[in-house]
Amino acid sequence: MLKKNKLALFGLIILVLFCVLAALAPVIAPYDPGEIMESEIQGPSLKHLFGTDDLGRDVLSRVIYGGRISLSVAAVAVLVALSIGIMIGAISGYYGGLIDEIIMRFTDIMLSFPTIFLILVIQSVLTPNIYNVMIVIGATSWMGIARLVRGEFLTLKEREFVEAARAIGCSNLRIIFRHILPNSMAPIIVAATLGMAGAILTESALSFLGLGVQPPTPSWGNMLMDSQTYLLDAPWMAIIPGLFIVLAVLSLYFVGEALREALNPKEW
Amino acid sequence: MTKIFLRSLFIILLATGFVFALDHDPNGRLVLSLGGEVSVMNPILSTDTASSAIEGVIFSGLVKVDKNLDFVPDLAKSWKVSKSGLVWTFNLRKDVYWHDGRKFTADDVKFTFDTILNPKINSVRRGDYIIDGKPIKFRVIDKYTIKAILPKPFSPFLASAGMGILPKHLLEGKELDMAKFNSNPVGTGPFKFVEYKTGDHVLVKRNPDCYGGAPLLKEILFKIIPDENTALVALKSGEIDSTGIPAKDFHKIKGVNLFKYDALLYTYFGFNLKSPKFSDVRVRQALSYAVNRKQLIGLIFLGYASPAYAPSAPVSWAYSDDVYRYGYDPQKAKELLKEAGVRDLEFTVLVNHGNKDRGKAATILQQQFKRVGVKMNIRVLEWSAMLKVINARKDPKDFDAVIIGWSLGVDPDSYSIWHSSQYPGGLNFVGYDNTEVDRLLEAGRVEQSKSGRKKIYAKMYREITKDAPYIFLWYPQVLTGVRSRVGGLSEPGPAGLFLDIEKVYIKK
Amino acid sequence: MTKYIFKRLLQLIPLLIGITVISFFIMHLAPGDPTALYADPNVKPEELARIRANWGLDKPVAVQYFIWLKNAARLDFGTSYISGKPVTQEIFERLPATVLLMSLSFAIILLISIPVGVISAVKKGSLFDNVFTIVSFIFMSIPSFWLALVLMLVFSLRLQWFPPFGNIVLPCATMVITGLAGITRYQRASMLEVLRQEYIKVARAKGLPEWVVIYKHALRNALIPIVTLLGLTLPDLFGGAFIIETIFAWPGMGRLGVSAVFSRNYPVIMGISVFTAVLIVLGNLLADVGYAIVDPRIRYAKKE
Repeated sequence: MLKKNKLALFGLIILVLFCVLAALAPVIAPYDPGEIMESEIQGPSLKHLFGTDDLGRDVLSRVIYGGRISLSVAAVAVLVALSIGIMIGAISGYYGGLIDEIIMRFTDIMLSFPTIFLILVIQSVLTPNIYNVMIVIGATSWMGIARLVRGEFLTLKEREFVEAARAIGCSNLRIIFRHILPNSMAPIIVAATLGMAGAILTESALSFLGLGVQPPTPSWGNMLMDSQTYLLDAPWMAIIPGLFIVLAVLSLYFVGEALREALNPKEW
Repeated sequence: MTKIFLRSLFIILLATGFVFALDHDPNGRLVLSLGGEVSVMNPILSTDTASSAIEGVIFSGLVKVDKNLDFVPDLAKSWKVSKSGLVWTFNLRKDVYWHDGRKFTADDVKFTFDTILNPKINSVRRGDYIIDGKPIKFRVIDKYTIKAILPKPFSPFLASAGMGILPKHLLEGKELDMAKFNSNPVGTGPFKFVEYKTGDHVLVKRNPDCYGGAPLLKEILFKIIPDENTALVALKSGEIDSTGIPAKDFHKIKGVNLFKYDALLYTYFGFNLKSPKFSDVRVRQALSYAVNRKQLIGLIFLGYASPAYAPSAPVSWAYSDDVYRYGYDPQKAKELLKEAGVRDLEFTVLVNHGNKDRGKAATILQQQFKRVGVKMNIRVLEWSAMLKVINARKDPKDFDAVIIGWSLGVDPDSYSIWHSSQYPGGLNFVGYDNTEVDRLLEAGRVEQSKSGRKKIYAKMYREITKDAPYIFLWYPQVLTGVRSRVGGLSEPGPAGLFLDIEKVYIKK
Repeated sequence: MTKYIFKRLLQLIPLLIGITVISFFIMHLAPGDPTALYADPNVKPEELARIRANWGLDKPVAVQYFIWLKNAARLDFGTSYISGKPVTQEIFERLPATVLLMSLSFAIILLISIPVGVISAVKKGSLFDNVFTIVSFIFMSIPSFWLALVLMLVFSLRLQWFPPFGNIVLPCATMVITGLAGITRYQRASMLEVLRQEYIKVARAKGLPEWVVIYKHALRNALIPIVTLLGLTLPDLFGGAFIIETIFAWPGMGRLGVSAVFSRNYPVIMGISVFTAVLIVLGNLLADVGYAIVDPRIRYAKKE
């Protein structure tokens, strides 16, 4: 238990640190992430703490701005997934019956899809940019949330407080959003946290393939794409962004797990 | 005395010859790397470099190029053009056999070109044999003579005569696009096809009855290695004999013979001349002055490229140095912008996805333009999507600027790039319109003498650079490493080190 | 049981139709199409239009879909735009490589995850367990492609122990490390669940030595969900295969899929979509069947 709390604390600190870096990037980053400062690749030094990349740009500054991009993409993607998932899950769980059947079939179809492949296909069809990355990731990861919410609604809709609300004449919509939903926030929050971890990984994979955030705008994923050619010559180009991804995702997992335990005491 | 001298000389000569003969391994196998999967091994269908590499050793054309990119006889031992310039007569060799033993005749030539011209066949080369909408007609005169009848005099035709010839007896009546032939090609070249293992390799072997003489190599193994870093590792370990070397590794690599030579292509930044942003020549010139080619070449190629200022490459015989040059002068750039009354210029440049060099160029130019107060946004498009935008038949087109390259053909005719008629449906997607240049382009196609054409093109290049429709960026250098066990290489030049593949050998 | 399996297989059909319709229409929303793959800008646009017509790409999308569907029903997925070979042949040529990679990875994962998961459960709360938990979280946070790059850097380029491409060791290692965490935790959870059962308490009450309790009773039952495991991890293994195969130039189906996507090779993309979807659905089926078997109510019913 104590261990879990320590981990969660560690995660929280990292997350807060990253958020601060992201929000205050222009103030904290030592240089302009796009500025070509040197005429060749340089290793870590006092001037460039994490070295420069192949175009002579400061890696530290890029990784800070990259964090800004990667984290906001993940956050918005999760919001999209939540919006879709909550709506679908709520309707499915609340109304039940045929609607539930149809919606769940559709969800099954989406789940059976090799998601990575689907995202690849979509992104290669569109012109990848930061906005459609957010939407595409959100649009392919709502299924878990939908199922979760549906489950909650199935159980909760039989409860007394719902009956009471119906009795006093609340509309269905109102019942869904003002009564049942707030009571199912706990698992949703956990799902959102874990979802954000997944979104960071997905965005970085997409950007790595060149189907996500487009250079020269830095994101952790596309910095890794650029680093491939210089793996032996400039390993810091690959190690640094990757490390940041691992830290961010790890922190989110720790916090998410801690939340899950706190909100839903069960043997794990 | 003389007798002894002569005898010793004879023995020495014999010994040298013997040593020389011993020097090459008759069972030598050359291992080359292919940068990608082979698509179809059929010269009239394929457009990728991997397939072309294989076709290059299996098939022959009427003519081929030498190290200076001049045309020399191959299957045609001689040719002449009529005075009108309309009839080209090719006299074919009589000692050529297909890899399956059948004799090569003029019927094969006619079959090949008729097939290309057949609209039902998916050959992208068809357009090369149609001049002003009319196809070239091919007529067999006798077993070893064939005439090409052109609708108009057209000196670039000789380059298209280098197309690999297909065997009529194997392909007549077959559906060419799906033919098994495409993965099991039969040609007349120095090497015969052996096998193709998808994703792994293509193997060809010596054709001992080749008309040009049996090649010294017994086999060539083409390994499919799509990643340039992998290829480099394979070169260092001896797994392959030759590959291109990325600029960043060129000065570091050891244990192989290094070659660098200029390629027949240039990369440029093209303005949409129909866009109001770039209609003023001063704006285009200003941006031209803002470009620091030294920084571009230094960062992207570590110096292994040459700055470009003209619409031709120095390796082409038509190249001329006498053009308008816009060197790096940011001060002048700012002045010109001010003079043109332009402030806060902002535009978007298109770059194609997957080309690292152009992507880097865009990023660097973005910074260089920033220094003179111009904001350039970068839009990366997938190659086919980009082509769709720049090739769209509308006026004006939906782009501001583009970074792209031209791979120059062996013939310097650039009608399709610069002629005003080639817009909006042609390769003149920037919308260049200059009557004098149009006239010179047309004249260059009709003029038959090389020196005459050279003069015409020199004038034309000067005229074009005056208008600054492109910012010419660089000519890349080809950097290759070859293991020392390989001998018989051609002189480093745009035709490549393995130009005379029959002469290449493996040392013992 | 068989009725259940049959019913699920039947449900495959509308699922597949749904998947194929979605893939097909998404791909055809593409601005740009395979003819533009003729990357030579010297090719005249009329030629491209002609080729497009030859391929039937000028017909309305819905019509194209039904043509495709009709052929697919006969297991004819058309021919690749790039190589001209039948799609089914292309896929089956690459399949063995992917299957090899995935089975080897899965086998190694099992070999490691079962003992580790079991020990973790048995020694819950111990140092071993805690370290395991943290390490598994770390492994789950590592992007597979980054791990691939790092492994390549250290073992291929620096130490030169393995060639960077064509060798199975590194791609397998990448898949194992990224896949390990989830499965090990699942094992642990499953073992914990088993340990809580009544019959374990009964066995202990009977005075049986601890190791008998663990290895003879609990472990056997904890191993049953392996079928379920296979079913659950199949989609992830496949997803991982796409990227890992591309990085290590492993000639499998994943790499074929990625290059087909980049080159708009529609027939191959559709073929792979259908194929992977079928496999994933079968995987889910396996998982469900696994659950049904494992369900203690069914098991007890059989035992009594």
